[in-house]
Amino acid sequence: MLVLSRKINQSIMIGDDVRIVIVAVDRDQVKLGIEAPRAVPVHRSEVYEEIRRANQEALGAAPAATGKPEKATLRPRPKPPR
Amino acid sequence: MEEEQLTIDLPKFGPCTFTASEVLEFPWGLPGFATLHRWLPLNLDSHPTFVWLQSLDDPTVALPAVDPWMVFENYDPKLPAYAFTSLEIREATDFATLCVIVVTPNAEEMTINLMAPIIVNLRTHKGRQIMLDGSSYSPREPMPRKMPASSKSA
Repeated sequence: MLVLSRKINQSIMIGDDVRIVIVAVDRDQVKLGIEAPRAVPVHRSEVYEEIRRANQEALGAAPAATGKPEKATLRPRPKPPR
Repeated sequence: MEEEQLTIDLPKFGPCTFTASEVLEFPWGLPGFATLHRWLPLNLDSHPTFVWLQSLDDPTVALPAVDPWMVFENYDPKLPAYAFTSLEIREATDFATLCVIVVTPNAEEMTINLMAPIIVNLRTHKGRQIMLDGSSYSPREPMPRKMPASSKSA
């Protein structure tokens, strides 16, 4: 892993279009500002990890199924009731 | 022009016929299944309310999911901008939403992942699981009892 030292308001670039700024440091907590293109998802790692585990769990718990597999039709969200 | 019928033998469901235009493409895979890009949405008689997301890259992987509004009428995910840009979604009618469920033998312990809906662009068939970081939705929301786990009368 690449390790860099930065001071408050300094930043690093990842590729050409992702910039991470050190906004504030308070004891063991660091506040980061992230500038990234709108198409790039930015998450805390725990969130990704949690979803990864949830997906694995869904696979492990999937029940036995019977019947001939048919193509499911996907539909947009129904209009919310007024 | 008739589209060519393809067949795959699924360990969980048996033989399945499909066409290339029915395949969903997940360019980023799914968390936990990052290398699985091609998925087929399937219905099976035993669980008529489920949509099974069947991987075509690893036939042993099939995730059960549901349309979240069948379960939670007021579900209102605020999708982040990257969901729309990366999937080229322009309008609300452009996409479908599925939420992965964890099915337990005890129906009362079933949960649904409302925090990370799977969004599928219905025009391009591209999909992605979107994390609602910072929302109050849970990845393990208990399913309400009205959701039939395996009844045919849904």
